[in-house]
Amino acid sequence: MDIKHSSPAVIPDHQPSAIEKLVAFLDERVGLKEMQAKMLNEPIPGGSRWAYVFGSILLFIFAMQALTGVLLMFYYVPTADHAYDSTQYIIHDVDYGWFLLSYHFWGSSAMVVCVVAHMSQVFLWGAYKKPRELLWLVGLALFGIVITFGFTGYLLPWDQRAFWATTVGVEILDKTPVIGDFIARFLKGGPTPGQMTLSRFFVLHVMILPAALMALAGLHLFLFRVAAPAGPYSGTKEEIKAKTDYFFPRQIWKDMVGMAFVFVGTCVLALWEPVVLLDQAAPDPGDYHPEPEWYFLFYFQLLRLKIFSGEFGQFLGAVALPVLFMILLVALPFFDKDPERNIFKRPIALISWIAIMVVIVLFTVASVINREFLD
Amino acid sequence: MLQPKLKSKVRCTDLDIGEVSKVVLDPLSHEISHIVVSMNGSGERQIDMTQVQDVTDDLVHLKSPSREILALPPFKRDDYVTTHEVEISHLEDNIHVTPGEVLVPLPDLEKSVKRRTFFMNFTHVIGFLIGLPIAYPILRFLMKPMYAEFDNQWLAVGNVSKIKNEDVGVQFEYKKKVKEAYMPEYEVEKNVWLVRATPDLLEKVYQGKDEEFRDAKGYVIWTNKKEIPFIAFSGKCPHLGCAFKWRNHKALGPVFLCPCHLSIYNAAGKVLDGPAPRALDPLPVRVSASGEVEIIDMEFKAGTKSQIRIV
Repeated sequence: MDIKHSSPAVIPDHQPSAIEKLVAFLDERVGLKEMQAKMLNEPIPGGSRWAYVFGSILLFIFAMQALTGVLLMFYYVPTADHAYDSTQYIIHDVDYGWFLLSYHFWGSSAMVVCVVAHMSQVFLWGAYKKPRELLWLVGLALFGIVITFGFTGYLLPWDQRAFWATTVGVEILDKTPVIGDFIARFLKGGPTPGQMTLSRFFVLHVMILPAALMALAGLHLFLFRVAAPAGPYSGTKEEIKAKTDYFFPRQIWKDMVGMAFVFVGTCVLALWEPVVLLDQAAPDPGDYHPEPEWYFLFYFQLLRLKIFSGEFGQFLGAVALPVLFMILLVALPFFDKDPERNIFKRPIALISWIAIMVVIVLFTVASVINREFLD
Repeated sequence: MLQPKLKSKVRCTDLDIGEVSKVVLDPLSHEISHIVVSMNGSGERQIDMTQVQDVTDDLVHLKSPSREILALPPFKRDDYVTTHEVEISHLEDNIHVTPGEVLVPLPDLEKSVKRRTFFMNFTHVIGFLIGLPIAYPILRFLMKPMYAEFDNQWLAVGNVSKIKNEDVGVQFEYKKKVKEAYMPEYEVEKNVWLVRATPDLLEKVYQGKDEEFRDAKGYVIWTNKKEIPFIAFSGKCPHLGCAFKWRNHKALGPVFLCPCHLSIYNAAGKVLDGPAPRALDPLPVRVSASGEVEIIDMEFKAGTKSQIRIV
C-alpha cells in the first residue's frame, strides 16, 4: 500500500529560521513530527470527556512527586540519627523547604485519591473487559506501587507518626502465614524498626518503586495504545463515530484543566496544612496516639472490629481480607465475561462499587469520631 | 471483503475512468470504506465501497456510470491523515492492498546458520549461569541484619516509690542503649508498665505457678516468683504492636487500653475487650531492697496467641 503521503513539495515563502532548521534537523533523524502526530492523533471513541482525565493527572502527579522528591534528597539524610533533624532542617531552615516537603506530602494524598478515581472510572465504564484485561492487571500493579510508595515514604521523616505507622504496618504483614515473619524481618532489617528499616524503606521509596512505577506506567500506556480507548458504554456505532475526536486538542485541554486543579489543590493544602513533625521516633510514644495516614484510616478502623479479634481474626483482617480483595480485582476481567459495559445494566458491579465506597467512608468517619474517646 | 489494489484500473459501467490512488480505512471496523480514484487528469474522487461491484487483480468494477462518478465532489486530502500520523492499533491488519511483498535480502552469513534453537537456548543457559551464582549472595546480603541474638541484660527502670496504689498500671520510662551495625551507639526511649498487685491480682496473673523465662536455647534465665507483688508488662500491645495506656473506661473502670485498635486489658493483663489475641506480656522483673526496679527488656511477636520472643 502506498502509505507515504505524497503531497507536493512545500515551497517556503520565507527563509527558515534557526529554530525551524533545528526542528527539521532533529525531525530528519528522530522522526519527531511523526512521533508527535501519533501521540496527539489518537481517536477517542465518542469524544473527549472529563471522566477520562485521571490517567493524565496521575502522570502529572508522579512527575511532581519525582521533582519534589529529588529536591528533598538534597538535604534529607536517611539515617536514624539524622533523618529527623535533616527533615526539620528542610522545614525550618531551607528556603521554601516547608513548601516543597508539604507539596510532596499532600501530593501523595492526591495520588491515592486519583488512583481510586481512575480505577473507579475504569470499573464503572466496564473498560477492564476484553480486550483490556492486561491493561487492568498492570493498573492493579501500579495501584500496589502507589500504596507502597505511601507506606515507605511515611517512615522517612522519622518522627513518632512515622515510627508507629511503620511498626503497625509491618506487624500486619507479619500476619501472613509461613512467610510473614521473614517478610517482616526482611523489611525491618531486624526484629525491631531501626536504622536498617530506614535504609530499606529509603531505597524502596527513592530507587526501586520509582523505577518499577516508570516501567509499569510505560507498559500501561503501551497496552492502552495497543488496545485503544474503550470509549463510552452506550450509544450506537454511528453516534460514537459522529462524536469521536482526537486526543489533541479537546481531551488534552480537559486533562490540563484537571492537572491545574490538582496542582492548585495540592498547593492550597501545603499552604493551609504544612507538614509539622511530631517528636523524634522512639519506641515510647508518650501521649501520641498512633494513627495511619487518612487514606488508611478505614482499614485501621476495620481492624478494630470484633470479627478480626484473636489470632484467626487477625489473619482474616490483616491478610485474608486484603488479599481476597486484590485477587477479586485481578480475576475480575476473567470471570466477568459479559460484554455489556453499561454500568446501569450491571447491577452487581454498581452495587459492589457503592458498597465499597460506603464502607470506606463510614469507617473513615468512625475512626475520626473514635479519636475523641481516646483522651 | 473486497481488497482493491493501488494502481488498479477503475472501470465504470460504461468506460475506464482512472486508477486507484488511495484507500480509506474505517477507524472503527478497520476495513476499507472508500477508494480514491485518480481520474486521468480530472482530479480525484472518493468512492464508497458500496459502489464497488467487483475487484479483480488489476481492475475495480463500479456499479455506476462514469458521469455519476464525475459528478462527485473532488477528493479533499486535508480531511485525512496517513496511517503514519495517527495512533490506531491494528488498523492495517485487514488490509492487503500492497501490490506484492516488500523484501530485504538475508545476509550471506545468516543463510547457513543451522543451530538457531541451540544458540537461543545457549543464551538462556549463560543468563542462568550469571544469575544463579549472584542470587544467593544477594539474598544473604539483604538478610544480614534480620536475625539478632537476644539481649538478656537487666535494665534499671526506676524506683517502686513511684507506685502509689495497688492494682494500678504505672508507666516507667527508661532508656535502652542500642548498637546497630555501623551506627554509633544511641539510646532509645522505651516504657514498661508496673503493677503492685494485691494477692488476688497476683493469683489471677500467675494462677499458682511461678513464671519462667528461657533463652533461645531453652535455659531458664529468670523466674518471676508468684508471691512477689510486682508485675512488669512489656509496653508493646500484643495485638499489632502499638503502645497502650492506663485509662479509666466508662463501663470497665480502670484498664489498660490500646488507642490503636482499642484492645482493653485489666490490671492482670487479661483481655477484656477488643481484638488482642493474648494477654499482656509480663517481663522478668526484680526489685532491690531499696526499691530499685530492674527488668529484662523483651519483645514478643504481636498478633499471635502464644508468646514468640523476637528481641
